[in-house]
Amino acid sequence: MAEALPTASLSARARLVMAFILAFGIAALQNLVALPIAVALAIGALVCAPERRAVLYRLRPAALLALMFLIVLPFITSGETLVQSGPLRITKEGAHASMLIAGRMMVIVTLVMVLLAPVSAFRLVGALRALGLPALIADLAMLTLRYLDEVTAELQRARVARALRGGATGLRGLPDHALLLATSLIRAQIRAERLWAAMRLRGYGMRHGTLPTPLAMRDWTAIAGTGAVALALVALDRSL
Amino acid sequence: MHLPDGLVPLELALAGYAGSALLTGLALARIKRLPDPRGELPRAAMLTTVFFAASALSIPVPPTSVHLMLTGLMGVMLGWFAVPAILVGLFLQAVLFGHGGLTTLGLNGLILCLPALVGFAIWRGAGARWPDLAALIAGGGAVLLALAIFAGIVLLGMPAALDAGAERAALAVFLLAHLPLVLAEGVIVVVLLRVLRRIEPALVPHG
Repeated sequence: MAEALPTASLSARARLVMAFILAFGIAALQNLVALPIAVALAIGALVCAPERRAVLYRLRPAALLALMFLIVLPFITSGETLVQSGPLRITKEGAHASMLIAGRMMVIVTLVMVLLAPVSAFRLVGALRALGLPALIADLAMLTLRYLDEVTAELQRARVARALRGGATGLRGLPDHALLLATSLIRAQIRAERLWAAMRLRGYGMRHGTLPTPLAMRDWTAIAGTGAVALALVALDRSL
Repeated sequence: MHLPDGLVPLELALAGYAGSALLTGLALARIKRLPDPRGELPRAAMLTTVFFAASALSIPVPPTSVHLMLTGLMGVMLGWFAVPAILVGLFLQAVLFGHGGLTTLGLNGLILCLPALVGFAIWRGAGARWPDLAALIAGGGAVLLALAIFAGIVLLGMPAALDAGAERAALAVFLLAHLPLVLAEGVIVVVLLRVLRRIEPALVPHG
């Protein structure tokens, strides 16, 4: 149950900070000593995550890339031979590098996804703003997110309509794609004019922004705990 | 063409953040100098939405299909706003879809923002006199520049023991695999800017 998990009540800000701490902590690992612990941590987090199906789905591109590194790197790195079969040679250095890169990649992506999956994109941007992101960038992100689904649907409808009308394919179809994009951009310009008028009517930029609410004790505890875990992993990694 | 988490050493990832922070600071300072920076925001956001949505669609370019990057076009149409727009897009892609990464956000920002700014500079310098040539270079050239920066960072971040021959072969395959994208972006940006200059010139400053 989501409510039973200790992380369920964490604020979006705390989750973001924890995601960054863990991501940079794992990225700092240079040996295979601490990596198995990090992998176990990621698997544990994934198993406990209420959104594990969605997280697993989103992990597919990273998993594919990690697999590619695991398969290719051991064969193209010079060094001490581990296994040789004809012209194919797996080196110790290559195996080490491939496991390190693939392991770090999967652990970071899994932990970030598990931490941030329960938070909507709007709340994430709000959290970034509260953490000091300039207002202009936060507003740009909010407006982009607000209209993203609408514009994506519009573009897809236009593509289907073009295909149904027997639009050119392959290289000859590129100018048609440019025209679709041009139409969307012109619509976006018109929408932006209306939006700016509405924003001015609502007093955009006239009010001072409200101060973010302070982080709760559980947020601070979770951030400190995450920092301790990241530090312990790096210390273990450097100790041998 | 996003660097994933875990690929590059921590020092390189932090250097990427420093570079992107500098670039963002410069972009925000230039945006503040505009006559009405707040008034430009909705337009930049709406165009960013279109670029973000369009880059998610795959376009068939035989023998493959490509996802447009549109960095050069973003530079041409958004100017300095392209920097925050690209960073916003990269952050959302990293946390929502797992494309790119949190630790490599700074490096990915540099890979895409620098070509966008180069595209902006090319269009501003030559767009009025040689619009098609400038559009072609801004569109296709931005992809080539992004490829070069990406390849440079990957080479810096990969293990030192990587076989030199394999490294060259992998780079050649990487560049060849992206040639359809360079071609597609070049053609699309030329046609698109031609149309916009005729129908909605306000969307294409300096043209």
